[in-house]
Amino acid sequence: MLFWTIGWPIIWVLIGSFSFTGNAPPEIVAYTRGAISISMMVFGLMTAGMANLPGNIAQDRERGLLTKIMSMPISPWRDFTGRILALLAFSVLSAMLVIAVGFACGARFFFTGIDFMASLAFILLIFVASAGIGMLIGTFVKHVHGAIMSGVGLTVVSAALSGVMTPYAYLPSVLQDFARIYPISSANSAITYLLVGEEYAGYNPLSTSQPFLTALVALLLFVLGLITYSRFCWKKE
Amino acid sequence: MKSNITNYNSILYGREQAIQTFAVLADSVTKEYGKKEVLKKVNLKINKGEFYALMGPNGSGKTTLASILASVKSLTSGKIEIFGKKPEDAKKITGYVPQENFSSPLLTGKENLMYFAELLGYKKSEAVEMVEELLKKVGLWEDANKRVSHYSGGMRKRLEVATILFPGLKLLILDEPTTGLDPSARRKFLGLVQELRNKETTILLITHIGADADLASRVGLIDRGVIIAEDQPEKLKRNSGLENVVNIETSIKNNKVASLLSEFSEKMKVLETETGYRVFTEDVERATPKIVRSLDEIGCKVIRIETVKPSLEDVFFKLTERKVSEVD
Repeated sequence: MLFWTIGWPIIWVLIGSFSFTGNAPPEIVAYTRGAISISMMVFGLMTAGMANLPGNIAQDRERGLLTKIMSMPISPWRDFTGRILALLAFSVLSAMLVIAVGFACGARFFFTGIDFMASLAFILLIFVASAGIGMLIGTFVKHVHGAIMSGVGLTVVSAALSGVMTPYAYLPSVLQDFARIYPISSANSAITYLLVGEEYAGYNPLSTSQPFLTALVALLLFVLGLITYSRFCWKKE
Repeated sequence: MKSNITNYNSILYGREQAIQTFAVLADSVTKEYGKKEVLKKVNLKINKGEFYALMGPNGSGKTTLASILASVKSLTSGKIEIFGKKPEDAKKITGYVPQENFSSPLLTGKENLMYFAELLGYKKSEAVEMVEELLKKVGLWEDANKRVSHYSGGMRKRLEVATILFPGLKLLILDEPTTGLDPSARRKFLGLVQELRNKETTILLITHIGADADLASRVGLIDRGVIIAEDQPEKLKRNSGLENVVNIETSIKNNKVASLLSEFSEKMKVLETETGYRVFTEDVERATPKIVRSLDEIGCKVIRIETVKPSLEDVFFKLTERKVSEVD
């Protein structure tokens, strides 16, 4: 799992930074590398939530830890909080490593205090949405490998279709609509917009209603995942 | 309407006394998975401080019953009380070690127990002392800082038992804890279980191994969702009608040998073991030479023949005509 969450995004930061920017004018290379680094950081966060988390849930179920915990005087919420905090720590580590590699490769960002704080809020929304989807996968896919691969598959496909790994401007209009609704890609665009510029985001994701839609759908996914997990994973058969 | 068992207890001991007397009280417990009835109106009473073994083959319903007592599974009908409380309300006093190895192989023994201590809400300073005490109790203090992936099967099981030794737990449920352990690790583990016996702690051991069940003060034999017999191990053996058992190690094991041996076994089939057969006969002295001769005539060498006392496996076989190691 370390490979998909940290290794894979770093590999793509390296490939993207040196292969995709070959013919670009020098003045935009650093920011292109910045946009690539952000996309790959988002990809890492997606994998952590959508593949790591369900993999852990399935593993705990398979080796009897979930059964053991269910027999103890612990509420599902406590178990859930522990999982989310562990995931948060891992996601922060993954994001920092990917961005650090980006920096080392020459990526640059526009930093202002407010933009940075707003970017952190969008990163949190990506984390929340990914964790929600991860809990849904972990609840319904029982086997460890199945859970991990379902998460990785969903991450790769949704990242490709929603503009996380492909430029928003090149997406067909139907996928552009999807990119705005899918909170992970709209948050990715918002971070790119804030830290690199609108031309890299492809549109203005901070227009009036878009941030609310992003936050709303991200929170909905999280709540749905949470309810599903506490109801079905902790369900007494 | 109150159940018969509850009424019986209440009449005999009064309500308060009944609660104090029985650690586990199961009344007509039924569990169904779809159309399959896994437990069929099971009644079970385990006294406070008792060491009770529930023995049966795989698929007999013993793990399901343990899971219901541990509040991991629900029952379809019937009633269960753990020290007078519903299983879900008795989690603070019930410790459950499931069959699977649930400890994390990536963490050390100490870290695993710290994790459970923190889950149970102990402060870190309290937990450190308690974990040290528990590791010493299960004989793992010297290996406390080793990763569990480097533990043997027996060590890992002892570590997992330590998770139910936190203060306040009165009912300990151990589901098949010795499965997969080598004989020496098994002995060591069972020694630990024996040490846990005291007036305040009730132990329920789920097993399919007669020698493990032998250690209990009372044994229940469960088959196809029904407890078919229940008593002290020695009484179960004595009352089974089995006087002596001829244990034979043979050079060949096949239908012909089994069929020949069954002629010496009264009203019963012979029980096949790993190395040969067990024959149930009243007149051992007369039967033994005949058995050796008959086997010799069909070209089967007798490697070893001995008369032994019946085991709980033999009792189970006598009652069900099935081996306890058989899978349903």
